[in-house]
Amino acid sequence: MTATAAGPGDSRAAQLRQTWRDPPGLWGFLTTVDHKRIAARYIVTTLFLLFLAGMLAMDMRLQLSAPGLHRMDPQLYNESFSLHGSTMLFLVSVPVMEAMALWLVPLMLGQRNMAFPRLAAFSYWLYLGGVLMLWLPHAVNITPDLGWFEYPPLSGPAYSPGHRADIWAQMITFTEVAALAASVNVAMTILKLRPPGMTLAKMPLFLWAMLVASLMTIFALPAVMLATSMLIADRLVSTHFFSPSGGGDALLFQHLFWFFGHPEVYIIFVPAVGFVSAIVETFARRPIFGYAAMVLSVLAIGILAFGLWVHHMFAVGLPRLGNDFYTAASMTIALPAGIQIFCWIATIWGGRPRLATPMLWVIGFIITFVIGGLSGVMTASAPLDLQLTDTYFIVAHFHYVLVGGAIFPLLGAFCYWYPKATGRLMSEKLGTLAFALIVGGFNLGFFPMHILGLWGMPRRVYTYPAGMGWGTLNLVATIGSAVAVVGGLVFVANALWSFWYGRRVGADPWGGPTLEWAARSPPPPHNFDLVLCVDSLTPLWKKELTAFDGLALDRREMLVTTVMEAEPIYRQNSVGPSIWPLMSALAVTLLFVGSIFTPWALVWGAVPVAIALTFWFWPTRARASTGPLGRRR
Amino acid sequence: MAEPMERHWLQMPCRHILLACMLFSMPTLPACSRESRSLGPGQPQTPPSGFADPRITYFEDNLYQTAQGGRYFSWYGCAACHGTEARGERDLIAVQLRHSPSFVDVYASIAHHRGVSFGHDGMIPTEQLWQLAAYVRSLRALKREQRRRQDLDQAGEPQAMSWSGTVR
Amino acid sequence: MTQKGHLAFLLPLASCAGAQTPLAPAGDQAAGQYSLLLLMLWVCGILYMLVLGFLAMGLWRLRRGAPAGNEPTLETPSDAVLGKTLWIWAAIIVVGLLLLAGASFLLERRLAAAEAREALLVRVSGHQWWWRIAYRDPRNGSWIETANELHLPVGTTARIELGSADVIHSFWVPNVAGKMDVIPGRANAIDVTPRRIGWFRGQCAEFCGLQHAKMAFDVKVETPAQFAGWLALQARPAPAPEDAAALRGMEIVTRGACAMCHSVRGTSARGRPGPDLTHVASRRMIAAGTLAMNRGNLQGWIAQPQALKPGTLMLPVTLEPRDANAVAQYLGQLK
Repeated sequence: MTATAAGPGDSRAAQLRQTWRDPPGLWGFLTTVDHKRIAARYIVTTLFLLFLAGMLAMDMRLQLSAPGLHRMDPQLYNESFSLHGSTMLFLVSVPVMEAMALWLVPLMLGQRNMAFPRLAAFSYWLYLGGVLMLWLPHAVNITPDLGWFEYPPLSGPAYSPGHRADIWAQMITFTEVAALAASVNVAMTILKLRPPGMTLAKMPLFLWAMLVASLMTIFALPAVMLATSMLIADRLVSTHFFSPSGGGDALLFQHLFWFFGHPEVYIIFVPAVGFVSAIVETFARRPIFGYAAMVLSVLAIGILAFGLWVHHMFAVGLPRLGNDFYTAASMTIALPAGIQIFCWIATIWGGRPRLATPMLWVIGFIITFVIGGLSGVMTASAPLDLQLTDTYFIVAHFHYVLVGGAIFPLLGAFCYWYPKATGRLMSEKLGTLAFALIVGGFNLGFFPMHILGLWGMPRRVYTYPAGMGWGTLNLVATIGSAVAVVGGLVFVANALWSFWYGRRVGADPWGGPTLEWAARSPPPPHNFDLVLCVDSLTPLWKKELTAFDGLALDRREMLVTTVMEAEPIYRQNSVGPSIWPLMSALAVTLLFVGSIFTPWALVWGAVPVAIALTFWFWPTRARASTGPLGRRR
Repeated sequence: MAEPMERHWLQMPCRHILLACMLFSMPTLPACSRESRSLGPGQPQTPPSGFADPRITYFEDNLYQTAQGGRYFSWYGCAACHGTEARGERDLIAVQLRHSPSFVDVYASIAHHRGVSFGHDGMIPTEQLWQLAAYVRSLRALKREQRRRQDLDQAGEPQAMSWSGTVR
Repeated sequence: MTQKGHLAFLLPLASCAGAQTPLAPAGDQAAGQYSLLLLMLWVCGILYMLVLGFLAMGLWRLRRGAPAGNEPTLETPSDAVLGKTLWIWAAIIVVGLLLLAGASFLLERRLAAAEAREALLVRVSGHQWWWRIAYRDPRNGSWIETANELHLPVGTTARIELGSADVIHSFWVPNVAGKMDVIPGRANAIDVTPRRIGWFRGQCAEFCGLQHAKMAFDVKVETPAQFAGWLALQARPAPAPEDAAALRGMEIVTRGACAMCHSVRGTSARGRPGPDLTHVASRRMIAAGTLAMNRGNLQGWIAQPQALKPGTLMLPVTLEPRDANAVAQYLGQLK
């Protein structure tokens, strides 16, 4: 199909491989800046945590399966839902989307690495620090127990003794710094490392989605870091930010938290829009319908998402007219989301769809996510939300949105790009079984929660009295969740089995339209032998592909292009493996962990950080060579 | 080149992660009994048997029990005389620094306290006496502004026979 | 499952758990919210059906025959029609949203309008994990305190002032009105206009710590006459003990640990941290909606609160069996 899928015997490929490969062994593992390796460990970590947090959910479902059970005491239950929510939101959903971007963005751009390779490594190590920050204390029974949003004063110094709340707050700082690092990297890569010819108007929707999600991350995350840092300050150095009798305001925390918290939901959902668009395009065998409408709706979501955080706070007693404004803003977001749904179905309609597993996940996504979107419209209404908020209706709603809207597309994306990552196909039979179990189990488990919420069951209760009539549906919900968990295990088994025994395939098993399918499967360390050129949205569906030459073979170089038109402007040296991202992450970890015990950690902890960063940025290379490039065919 | 890169990340990280876990968990290990929360019945029914009573260490170290003690300290009106602004013999921090009384002494002085209004002997259940004593002992390590900050959060809590109303 | 099925499914079942659900409204506010919910279910149900229908038909077109080879199509003649349909779809969404946003705005106005009709003031304070409730005495304007049981006269708009003594709670009686958070430092209030006589149940709806699950309360909506009678009873000091055992119980309550936290008006027990016990036996439940009020539960609650509500701030009081009996006897007479 393409001139670039050169054979392994090619000496040029061998030389590039030699230039871009990591040192062998443990040293290579610790120093790698290969975006594929970093993304792979990111993804494996998030999937492992997804499993752990899923088990916590199962434990809670068992506790709730009948009224008045005693298998968990309130402390354990509170710890479980706090750990479940915090892990799923901060350590699974957001990082896994960034990880997918780290893996896919350079490949989809025909590039050899991210714009800031070491920042990607730093991002992972710091994220791992956040994971350990939450889960190691859990192993020694110091678990945050106040939910995934720890409202003061409950999380303040008087009502939350010990370090449980600090651990939660600092885990957020970890993961948010990691997420900021990843987002800056992704945004920069998409803006400056596009292949020649890929103007903004010819950029695949996945890249648009990741660009928007990254920019949203950059704007949203500082708010929550501010909120949690103020909380730590209240707890550690007795400031009064959230103490009403000291002149502070308990609501301030909620505003800051949700100013991040609502965009967060879209930071998770928007990448899924990218997955779905890519899958639909490939399996409908036609370009996506309504590309411009899709791009505009993603942008609209990215902007609107910042204007509706108050819909999480309708019950706190804000002025009613203000609430109505946020109702209108929240409902407006249904328009771009509805347009996206239409465009996907229209693409299926206008194409000739093939129902492989990734496509099944898209169908499961549409059926499930639209329910979540519509229940979102209901909760967006300020007066109605007064009945719905903080009940199981909300629990059902956000699981439909997050699992149906983000995890289903993610699983589809996993199946879709799996052959690219491993060179092997996943089993379709096991894949279909996992799909049926997960989608069926999920809907069986979570649909009843809408009704439970309407029957008055509040969320975050560790038990409920027998007379409330909530027992039967809770039992159904537990059974559904168990089915979904079994489906999840089948999915993992399929991934593992296929890793060793799946059918071997070539570069492009699905006939995909975008550049990543031009690389070998699995991609070599340098991804592509040549710099590919693009002149349409679906370059690989053209008869022939143009390619550039001219990047060095003996050192790491990448081609930088202009932001709008993707005109080549210069070759940039790309940095090689380094231990300093890991060392910097360790130094930052020391600072963060220390600062929940003493404010002085900020002072002495800054010293190792400064040392590590100095070594990281120590100039070791000549200036990048500049000048115009010749176009070769 | 001989071996695909993808094998590494499945096999290599295990050792590394284990190592990191061990390093990371060291500072948290001693903290685990401090943070534990034991709910439900089965709390102490008798006063401390002596200086070596093992329950003393548990109560003094446990942050949950200490915090509960702080709550009852305010509920029982202790803060009216022994609050943040207390001076002289009523300043529990100063008294402790001066005389360094043991847990048993503190417990006994609360249990047999002869305050302005009433004695506490037999009125405060044993478990709360343990918690109160643990709280009073913990005051030594609490900075004055930290104590004041906690009072701010608890400004709406009732104190013995008076309640100034909810937090405004 | 569809939204339409959802509607048919939940309505008949609403009656079987009717004491704590927005689906069986017993007040103006809840009734408005219920109508809006029904409108939402219809509009969203129709939109969902349109999406499902479009998707099903798109997949049905698979039967046109398997793709020839795996070649992608770059020419898509049907796109012009689909493009027009997209505009129609966007228009449908906009109309639906305008309808819902408009209805929601009108309801918000109606909820706000209740303020003009306020005729009764009730103060509710959230404590970890129970509710302090106070009414004005119609005779002298002083506050009468009770706990965990809210009485409201039918047809009267009551303004409920919400305050918190510790952390954030949320006041929610779904049958009567939506919820309102109880936030330290904020003077929140909610207007409720109950229209149906009966017992309802409210529950804390914002996570507030260990026993958030067992922070409920009862609401009794009654005729104005019944309400006036109840309030007059609550205003009275506690009745004197009727027998020797109760007298002994009173001695223990007023001289022992109970009085540290509880008040029994008319006796020397004047503790404020816990619920007022002056007319505790007139209430339907104890321990914030956790246990039915009866002698066995009372005795069990006093002896082992941590077993019934782990983490509660109620202290376990160890009493001789005879004394425990006496205390229960006394409290049982506090009607």
